Amino acid sequence: MKTMNVKKKTRITIVFIVLLAVVVGLISYPKAVQKIPFLYNIFNKKKINLGLDLQGGIHLEYTADVSNVDKNKISESLQGAQDVIERRINAFGVGEPLVQSARSGGEYRIIIELPGIKNIEDAKKKIKETPFLEFKEEAGEADLKESNKIFDSMNAQSKKKADEILQKALKGENFEELAKANSQDPGSKDKGGDLEFVKKGTLVPEFDKVLFEGSLKNGEVYSQLVETQFGWHIIKFIESKGDGDNKEVHAEHILFAKRDASQFPEFKYKTTGLSGKNLKSASVVFANQGLSDPEISIKFDAEGTKIFADLTKRNIGKTIAIYLDGEVLSAPRVQAEITTGDAVITGTFTIDEAKELARNLNEGALPVPLILVSQQSIEASLGEASLKQSLNAGMIGLALVVIFMLLYYRYLGLIASLALLIYTGIMISLFKLLGFTLTLSGIAGFILSIGMAVDANILIFERTKEEIRRGRGIQGALDEGFKRAWTSIRDGNVSTIITSLILIQMGTGFVKGFAVTLVVGVLVSMFTAVTISRTLIRFMVGEWVKDKLWMIGVKKKSEEDFK
Amino acid sequence: MINIINKTKYAYIFSGTLTILSVVSLFVWGMKFGIDFTGGTLMEVKFENSVPNNQELTENLKALELKSLTFQATDKKTVIIRYAAEDDKINDEVLKDIKAKYSDASQLRVDFIDSSVSKDLKKNSIWAILFAVGGIMAYIAWAFRKVSRPVQSWKYGAGAVIALLHDILITVGVFSILGHFKGVEVGVPFIAALLTILGFSVHDTIVVYDRTRENLLRSSSKEKFPEVVNRSLNETLVRSINTSLTVIITLLAIYFFGGESIKYFALALLVGVTFGTYSSIFVASALLVTSYEWQKNNS
Repeated sequence: MKTMNVKKKTRITIVFIVLLAVVVGLISYPKAVQKIPFLYNIFNKKKINLGLDLQGGIHLEYTADVSNVDKNKISESLQGAQDVIERRINAFGVGEPLVQSARSGGEYRIIIELPGIKNIEDAKKKIKETPFLEFKEEAGEADLKESNKIFDSMNAQSKKKADEILQKALKGENFEELAKANSQDPGSKDKGGDLEFVKKGTLVPEFDKVLFEGSLKNGEVYSQLVETQFGWHIIKFIESKGDGDNKEVHAEHILFAKRDASQFPEFKYKTTGLSGKNLKSASVVFANQGLSDPEISIKFDAEGTKIFADLTKRNIGKTIAIYLDGEVLSAPRVQAEITTGDAVITGTFTIDEAKELARNLNEGALPVPLILVSQQSIEASLGEASLKQSLNAGMIGLALVVIFMLLYYRYLGLIASLALLIYTGIMISLFKLLGFTLTLSGIAGFILSIGMAVDANILIFERTKEEIRRGRGIQGALDEGFKRAWTSIRDGNVSTIITSLILIQMGTGFVKGFAVTLVVGVLVSMFTAVTISRTLIRFMVGEWVKDKLWMIGVKKKSEEDFK
Repeated sequence: MINIINKTKYAYIFSGTLTILSVVSLFVWGMKFGIDFTGGTLMEVKFENSVPNNQELTENLKALELKSLTFQATDKKTVIIRYAAEDDKINDEVLKDIKAKYSDASQLRVDFIDSSVSKDLKKNSIWAILFAVGGIMAYIAWAFRKVSRPVQSWKYGAGAVIALLHDILITVGVFSILGHFKGVEVGVPFIAALLTILGFSVHDTIVVYDRTRENLLRSSSKEKFPEVVNRSLNETLVRSINTSLTVIITLLAIYFFGGESIKYFALALLVGVTFGTYSSIFVASALLVTSYEWQKNNS
């Protein structure tokens, strides 16, 4: 009775297996039913995704600079950057581009894959072109004081030098030469510090005091350094003409500049959080009624309008700097609070530049700056060649393994080959149905897994042959063979799975593709060994083999001595 | 029945020699690392007419003061140019300079890896290998916990690990030599191959250990440990060779037909798997017996 049930179960399973074989076969190779359009359409629905190394294309990785972003807003910004880039890439018309963000170490990366693109530099430019727009306000007193500390020592040095040169000038060294060599006033330096004839009030009050109210003789150098907002000056009085309100003085000076934070935009301005991500739209307008002086009119989104209103409210009379990709584009002075969320960006644009900028702003301005850290390009023809070659290799590999199995294990080898073909069909179907991207390394992993899938079968067969040699009946030998072999199969595959999981964890691209295919391959091969191989064996091998042991490669009289 | 255990002496000499040669090669020639691990740029430029030689190209690019600049001519009328680079802007200039002098030049591909990324890759690779070895050792110790006599179960793990370290070392040695003489580069795919070899080599070793365990549990007290091990080896010999053979067949198919890009990846796997099989048969079990003999001699 027990045997009858087993036989029945076996028959049912065989039916399932045959169905499975047909289904996966058709999914893998829909062309077989090309003539039956109804079936063909069902099976041809899913195509295999080809990876970059098989299609050709570009792989780019950027690091997002999140140093200015609020910690909780980081993922929002990354998503924003991703969206912007996706929009720009879709404009290329590339089939199935991939844009994703990832975390690596402490950094946030954006990974872009563009299959089929030939010109890597063009693509990069287009991506990089996503402009990074920022609005910054003037830093407050406290911030400036902090920054100024850096300049204090620089200025002390400057003053020291000024003193030195003053002594030289007083001693009678050639003033013009000293000016040419040391003056930091670009307007007069090359002329020997010559300021030409000026009326009172043209220069700063400190100069006027010395030149108009002092009593210097012609050609005399003023004996002290004169400090102004610009720094320390050495002044030489040349001559004067006229008098009263019309008096004009001719003088020369050497400037030793004072530096402070407000001269440098980086210190002068601080971030406000208002950036390109808050832009709703941008368009080109013209300042004059004609077609000259193009400007960019921008409109903020709801959040941006609010921030902008606050910004303008607290900065009335001060400047707000508009930065594009890290450089100040313009710094208009705020006249009044702007609550409408409209603003105008002026600059020295040509019409084309303005149009370009407006377009870029519209397609999306990057919320965070991006730095390229890695790129890889594969030429399309190289990719195609790789695909063809590796598929060839796969088929040859499969064929060779089948031949080997038939030669060595004969009838059992036939069973193993059938199981192997079904295994291949299942793997291909999984790839198609689950939308795995097939890469070169994936194919390598798959081919390797073919060699390993056969492994399970060999284990079972060898063990079975051994049991037969020991004198067991065929059925018993098969059962025992399977039972004993299973622990080996399981243990051996576990180690491959462990290393594959580690590879998946640490790897990107090539490595991941290989490891994933390997793991899936190992798991599927265990399944095929347990169900398919076992059932096929049960179905196709019976007691009748006892008289035809040569069919499975067992020598009738055992010559090996095992005891 | 073939007496394998008797021949452990030869196996130790063979393995020992190869291992020492590999270590020496590593010290003397090192490995030829690709940009995955060194960072920088790799650019392949095709020349329609005649291909300029290295000196001419060096002259051509002198103004850019590139560091670690190397040229490698291929047989497809292209030159592979490598140099250290901190950002990708320099690549434009390199191409411009080349095109200025050789108008028939075209860029087939340009790969660039920032040094922070390559540092990460190096670090991750080492961790991956350590994790893998640790994980495998733990797994074997657990799987073989029931056979503590006459040799403790941790020694099974140790035996397997020594065998697979031997496989890895020889594979690395082979690529160190290939790197020095044929300029074959080693990148992340090579690490993937090493990790696969780890997984696979242990697979084989476990099969033999499995059989040994089974035989030990079944054996009579008359049969001494080395004999049990030898018998186990014989029983699993055909099986070990055959399973490795099928994998080697598929790898050979990839090596000969699979195309340029995965050729050396397949080669690494081939070397590793071949030695993995050899070490499972001749080294792993031999170590068990050797440790048993030491135990016996010391007690």
